[in-house]
Amino acid sequence: MTAMPAENTPRGLAVHWPLAAFTVAAVLVPTLLSGNRYLAFVAGMTLLHILWATGMNLLYGYTGLMPLMFAGLAGISAYFVVNLTSIGWSFWLALPVGTLAASVAGTILGLPSLRLKGFYFTLCSLVIQTVITLGFVYFASITNGDTGISQIPRPSIPGGGELTGLGYEIVIAVMAAIGIAVLMLIVRSPFGRRLAAIREDDGLAETLGINVTYQKLAAFFIGSLYAGVGGALYAPYIGFISPRSFDVLISMNIWLMVAFGGRGTIWGPVFGAMLLAPIPFLLQDYYTVKDILYGVLIIAVTILMPGGLASGFRRKVPKAAVAQDIPARRLDPRRAA
Amino acid sequence: MSNANLIILLSTLSTGLILGAIFALVAAGVTIVYGSIWMPNAANGQFFVLAALFGWTMTVGWGLSPWVAALLVIGLSVPLSYILEILLIRRFYDVPNRNISYFVLSLGITQILAGIYAITYGRWSDQFQLPPLVGGITLIGPFPIANNRLMVLAIALAILAALFILLRFHRYGRALRAVFQNREAATLRGVNVRAIYSLSFILGNAVIFAGGVLFALAYSFDLTVAWTMAITAFAIMIIGGPGSVLGAVVVGMVFGFTQAIVSIFASPTIAAFSYLGAMLLILLFKPSGVFAR
Repeated sequence: MTAMPAENTPRGLAVHWPLAAFTVAAVLVPTLLSGNRYLAFVAGMTLLHILWATGMNLLYGYTGLMPLMFAGLAGISAYFVVNLTSIGWSFWLALPVGTLAASVAGTILGLPSLRLKGFYFTLCSLVIQTVITLGFVYFASITNGDTGISQIPRPSIPGGGELTGLGYEIVIAVMAAIGIAVLMLIVRSPFGRRLAAIREDDGLAETLGINVTYQKLAAFFIGSLYAGVGGALYAPYIGFISPRSFDVLISMNIWLMVAFGGRGTIWGPVFGAMLLAPIPFLLQDYYTVKDILYGVLIIAVTILMPGGLASGFRRKVPKAAVAQDIPARRLDPRRAA
Repeated sequence: MSNANLIILLSTLSTGLILGAIFALVAAGVTIVYGSIWMPNAANGQFFVLAALFGWTMTVGWGLSPWVAALLVIGLSVPLSYILEILLIRRFYDVPNRNISYFVLSLGITQILAGIYAITYGRWSDQFQLPPLVGGITLIGPFPIANNRLMVLAIALAILAALFILLRFHRYGRALRAVFQNREAATLRGVNVRAIYSLSFILGNAVIFAGGVLFALAYSFDLTVAWTMAITAFAIMIIGGPGSVLGAVVVGMVFGFTQAIVSIFASPTIAAFSYLGAMLLILLFKPSGVFAR
């Protein structure tokens, strides 16, 4: 089970139309909602979470690692961008720099995944996330501690003026679409198949001549790029960041979007993010209810549908050409959790 | 040695002992559950705070004596854990690689409980303080210590001793340790493994609840204690060796003293950094822990 048989992956237009449809919808929805600034903002946040969920999906869904430090990486990028722009950098220069910082951090912090598997890696990443959060609180000269940084200026547009409102949402929409397209390319490339092989059995992948170390670190580098771009866009968009914006709960929420939608599918996590990300904003005053709701969903996903929504849909499709040599283990739904 | 230094020394010692005993209780509870059913209970901190909050409601809200409240809270943990075990935990007993499922599950429980606290207790108060078990102050040399804290320390140490005696000498304790070491062999020797699983889940949580209510009796607490406790208990469990109660107690004591010393000479954040750093090193280089058999 090193790679999916090529015949199983749809090609040509069959792949491109959902992406095209998503891109159009991602641009149209904020445009249509722009009459109501708040709803447009919710749409923008949802798109941002789609970007994050897609990155988490690369790591959790396709490489089989569960990094609970994802929000921390986004935070590193966000703090980089805020500090660089405050000393006069252009946002458009700070964005790649912050993203790169998050990626380098993510690659280094992903090193434990080479030694630790399953629960132990997840625990390790949880510890790393906690250390990052403590660091955000502790190094108050850069992060302003628990108070957070408010009134972050909007990015300026090269032609003059500020990127506000709808323009910002369209930038996020385009980034989300690019993110999904990149994930699609990765999944269909030999690199993506090597990652899937590592997910199924990294010992076996190693014996097949796959350089597991290199592939895992590459996956971390790319996955952290998503976290970084998302974090960089998040800070000026919402205008306020604090260590709580990037703590372990946020990591869990992003993980839940992937698991709830369906790990290891392109569109499952996108739907997961679409359904879950708007909830805290729509609840407004009752937004602490979100924690309870997300917690219940985490338990429900673990117990009732380890494959997420996507596997629920997929079950209805008759399995026509399943290759004979797929190990039964892979079909065991419990393993997915 | 001057009086001032002696006071600092004694106060560090007493804080270290009390914190260490409470850390040891919670970590022992976590490690018993992990050693038997392979469940890394990330919700331990929330259970810890739940016990403390129950204790607060019973004493401050209902006016019960803190002794009665402490007993009630620990007693209450038994039916609560049993219900949780039937509803959620039992389903995974036969699943291979269940520790990751359990971990996620307990993170879900953490999030639910944290949300519930935020909309209930969180609205009433920031800081919770229970009435003391006993009044008065004892002077140890120049150093005054509240009798209440000495009593909490004595009870915590007594519970730890009882736990050791139970695990070493009682039939159930020996069966529990047999399951820790080798499930199949324990089954062959006539141990009812599933009953031991239930028992250890209930026992582990009862010990965590005891730690929570004792902590609340000794110190005032707030809701953020939950996450700190959860991470600390995990650090203690990993460093001591998952499944090793002795490891949990020894490392718990060490952590208690570290916390007491570092809190005096530096900030509590530094203490947290040092635990987490130690845990990462152990995870990377000796995942079976210091006290692994």
